Amino acid sequence: MSDADPSGSGADPDAGRGVEPTDPGADEGFEPVDVFPDSDDFDLRPGSDSCYKCSTCDTNCPVAEVDDDFPGPKFQGPEQWRLKQNEDDYGIDESVMDCSNCMRCDNACPAGVPLSQMHNTARGQYVSDEMSRFSRKYLRNRVLANYRLFARLGSKVPRLSNALLNNRAVQWLNERLLGITGEREFPSFAAETFREWWTARGGAAASREHAATARERRGEPRDADKRVAYFHGCYANYNTPEVARATVRVFEWFGYEVAVPEQGCSGTPMFANGMLGDARRHAETNVASLSALAERGYDAVASCTSCSMALRQEYPELFDIDGIEAAAAHTFEAVEYLRIHEDLRDAVADAEVDDDSAAEFVYHAPCHARNQGLARQSLELFRELDGVDIEDAGDSCSGISGTYGWKADKYETSMAIGEEMFDHMEAAAGETGMTECPTCAMQMEHGTGYEIRHPLELLEAALVDDG
Amino acid sequence: MGSSPHIVVVGGGSTGTGITRDLAMRGFDVTLVEQGNLTHGTTGRMHGLLHSGGRYAVSDRASARECIAENRVLREIAAHCVEMTGGLFVKRPEDGEAYFEGKLDGCRACDIPASVISGEEARAMEPHLARDVEKAITVPDGAVDPFRLVVANAADARDRGARIETHSTVTDLLVEAGEVVGVEVEHEAGPGERVHGVEGGREEIRADHVVNATGAWAGRIGAMAGVDIEVRPSKGVMTVMNVRQVDTVLNRCRPKGDADVIVPHETTVILGTTDEEVDDPEDYPEEQWEVDAVIDTLASLVPMLRDARTIRSFWGVRPLYEPPDVGSDAPTDITRDFFLLDHAERDGLPGLTSIVGGKFTTYRLMAERVADHVCGRFGVDADCRTADVPLPGSEDFSVLRDYMDEFGLRSPVGRRSVERLGSRADDVLDVDGPNPTVCECEAVTRAEIRDAIEGSGSDLNAVRIRTRASMGNCQGGFCCHRMASELHGTYDEPVVREAWDELLAERWKGQRHALWGRQLSQAMLNYALHATTQNRDRDPADAGPVDYAAFDDGPTRAGGPAGADVAADGGQNGN
Ligand SMILES: Cc1cc2nc3c(=O)[nH]c(=O)nc-3n(C[C@H](O)[C@H](O)[C@H](O)COP(=O)(O)OP(=O)(O)OC[C@H]3O[C@@H](n4cnc5c(N)ncnc54)[C@H](O)[C@@H]3O)c2cc1C
Ligand code: SF4
Ligand code: SF4
Repeated sequence: MSDADPSGSGADPDAGRGVEPTDPGADEGFEPVDVFPDSDDFDLRPGSDSCYKCSTCDTNCPVAEVDDDFPGPKFQGPEQWRLKQNEDDYGIDESVMDCSNCMRCDNACPAGVPLSQMHNTARGQYVSDEMSRFSRKYLRNRVLANYRLFARLGSKVPRLSNALLNNRAVQWLNERLLGITGEREFPSFAAETFREWWTARGGAAASREHAATARERRGEPRDADKRVAYFHGCYANYNTPEVARATVRVFEWFGYEVAVPEQGCSGTPMFANGMLGDARRHAETNVASLSALAERGYDAVASCTSCSMALRQEYPELFDIDGIEAAAAHTFEAVEYLRIHEDLRDAVADAEVDDDSAAEFVYHAPCHARNQGLARQSLELFRELDGVDIEDAGDSCSGISGTYGWKADKYETSMAIGEEMFDHMEAAAGETGMTECPTCAMQMEHGTGYEIRHPLELLEAALVDDG
Repeated sequence: MGSSPHIVVVGGGSTGTGITRDLAMRGFDVTLVEQGNLTHGTTGRMHGLLHSGGRYAVSDRASARECIAENRVLREIAAHCVEMTGGLFVKRPEDGEAYFEGKLDGCRACDIPASVISGEEARAMEPHLARDVEKAITVPDGAVDPFRLVVANAADARDRGARIETHSTVTDLLVEAGEVVGVEVEHEAGPGERVHGVEGGREEIRADHVVNATGAWAGRIGAMAGVDIEVRPSKGVMTVMNVRQVDTVLNRCRPKGDADVIVPHETTVILGTTDEEVDDPEDYPEEQWEVDAVIDTLASLVPMLRDARTIRSFWGVRPLYEPPDVGSDAPTDITRDFFLLDHAERDGLPGLTSIVGGKFTTYRLMAERVADHVCGRFGVDADCRTADVPLPGSEDFSVLRDYMDEFGLRSPVGRRSVERLGSRADDVLDVDGPNPTVCECEAVTRAEIRDAIEGSGSDLNAVRIRTRASMGNCQGGFCCHRMASELHGTYDEPVVREAWDELLAERWKGQRHALWGRQLSQAMLNYALHATTQNRDRDPADAGPVDYAAFDDGPTRAGGPAGADVAADGGQNGN
């Protein structure tokens, strides 16, 4: 597993393990972080010491704003941690399951309290100690957290699955049996996954050729050292391969040789559901791949802002896996990477779009993009692009937060949070949405009926001629 | 109880309240007189260690034996005040092997369960212990909450007919015909529960016998009747950390010295302490270097203490006593044993008994001896039952409950509340109507505050020690005003303001020695809140009650309903 395979035909971390997300024992084995006495990274004392109770985090929490019963991040994080400390028989309050893990509180805190690390740890503890392995909620959360596994099965017979998942009877059953809301349309599976496309296109060898040609065009040395490992995540593989293909083509256009390493889920939906055992299993695969590639000079880029967030911040906060620091330090959001290493701004300013991608966009920055300081990058970039107008939908949270808005009992909260964004979208001139996050995209579409695009798709349309 | 002898006990620390309860249980008519709150003296300013006796096992085996016996008793009768954390005597490379062996032998000789564990085993128990700690001895040390224990003793005594007078100073002993026959008392605010602003007054309380349990102040009471009591008060500093770096009592295994104990206490740990003789138990210097030295020395046991947040520091004075013929030089050499001074026999002054020295851990035993002595004096034949009858709150109870279902409280809030209230939890927490958390840092709800107010009048510091409200990391920054507002309804506005100011002043006092780093940020924020939004620095209302009728209702939009333009969400939603 430590043998990272840049050719991209690697095994799947779900394969061959016989792990069934509905198997009650399968998520066991996560030990709370205090089991690493040698490392101070996991010790939450300094974080708790840093809180001076100002409540700024509470005023920035989108769930607390619409749900009066949610006690807010100050309680979920430093307060609860301090009241409970190391007492194992102290229960974690169940309200931690109402936190959507948007991580806005992290950014809001003026004192640097690691709120999401505290929430993730508490949620992991709640799920492993307090939630019955046989409860409907546990089952539902496990299914949602392991969406990837179902996607893998579903995408084998995409048309059948798409028909089935959005069948009214199945939706009704989901709601009754699993507590998954029937209000939303399940995202459809692509006929060809990204990885299938990638292999058919010739994998890493083909990418090497494309990159070399591009370098020549750009007047760069043919053998320039430009390599990235693409962390596509689950959604771009199974549901929106057009985003993944765009990422590959844009990087190749800039002369980068792309590798598509063995990878699992980034863990985002698992953190949010307290399934830290599952998340760790996937993290082991990802860290092994990415750290081995980092050693060989590959930085990792992700087109999903929650994936890059997980790899960069949550991994080192929650797990002690060999190479995890290196993997975190070498991970970037894809557009961010190009902004750092290429003259992306001029490239976009020189380009224009005139075909059907030309449009007026209304852009929503996902919370996790905000946390990485990327909230304004697409706006500033595409402002310069001829044929395109782009407007900001404001700084509110979309409300879906990954799997959160899929839960029947959270649906209302999710839509209440999203209302501000919907209003802003409707007030904006454009009628096409744009965001980096696949679930924000679902929410935007659900609330407005707009079509939603990813910034990399627009970059592809602007820069790459032979789409 | 008309015909039973009336005993006045002076001093509302652990010793005095313990004596009051014991005497009340044996049928005496008792009055307790205390100049401040309960625990106002040394009892409210101690380290909170329920000694296993290990600490005295080398130098003072008589004390060590008493400690382990009382340790076992208190675990039973005061279960809701005690956390059996266990303790370690930790040996660093520079600490002598011979002393370590001596400690182990001493513990065994005194019937203190003790065993040796390796450095690794010790670190497995306490991950933040220094890497170079070589080995340790385990002992049954524990943590004890002095406030809760004293309040429970007083409450039980009151239930058995005793009269408890706080904020009442004994200004003189009444001596008639060569015998003490009572005390003269100055009430700060009238008899009974303290209410701010109530006219005080003088009272003569006549008694068949007076017990002087004033600890470090015992010499002063003695002097009122012309007897000499050679108490040698010795001060010590304690520093409270924001969180628990350890969950076990850590003692440095070396001959008694400064800064060698860390005691986990509720949400915090307390570092301590020092030992320095002072002249006046009420007026002695509190210096920053003492705090720095304690943190610095204990960081050799737990390195992370160096950068950890401290929330306050406080000092206490030990009521050490040694018989006049001993003459120890250093206060560390003075015995920790207690002495019952029968002034009839010792000074030819009947009607007065003093109890001096000792420790918190042995308070019950000290009380038993005094009560035995008083029984003997009046020919009362009644056995001591304080070792068997649990204190109120410590009757059978379980902390493992469904707090949300039973009390509507979030898990850690319910758990902390039930741990504090013990068997009284159902009475106190099972309330109709909303029960919001008043002190968030320590998870104290309105119901617990109101219960404490019932027991302590308008005195918010007394509410504080009963509940821990305002004792967490914000040190009252966010809850003092909420506590004060709970007084309203029962008390008028000027009373509430005075009580509030007094609590704030007390909270600031201990923070003076923690004003750096993160507690300094906290203090700045608190100051900003108190001075600006609450006007506590120069409130015009301090001059007298506020004329609320003079305020208008704010602007009203023509035609709109009154208050329609009040944007409770800060205008976020467009209004
Ligand atoms: C720094 C330090 C740390 C300690 N740590 C521990 C420990 O960890 N474990 C342990 O077991 N022991 C410990 N002790 C010892 C223990 O705190 C004391 O032995 C014990 O609290 C003494 O209780 P007391 O009731 O005798 O005295 P006090 O608590 O001092 O009570 C005497 C009371 O008398 C009142 N009084 C005085 N004059 C008058 C008057 N004129 N009228 C009315 N009232 C009056 C005072 O206000 C006071 O409240 C420590 C002591 C110190 C100083
Ligand atoms: S992560 Fe988001 S939802 Fe959760 S507490 Fe923080 S701000 Fe609130
Ligand atoms: S914003 Fe930070 S310091 Fe303020 S209450 Fe929240 S966690 Fe504490």
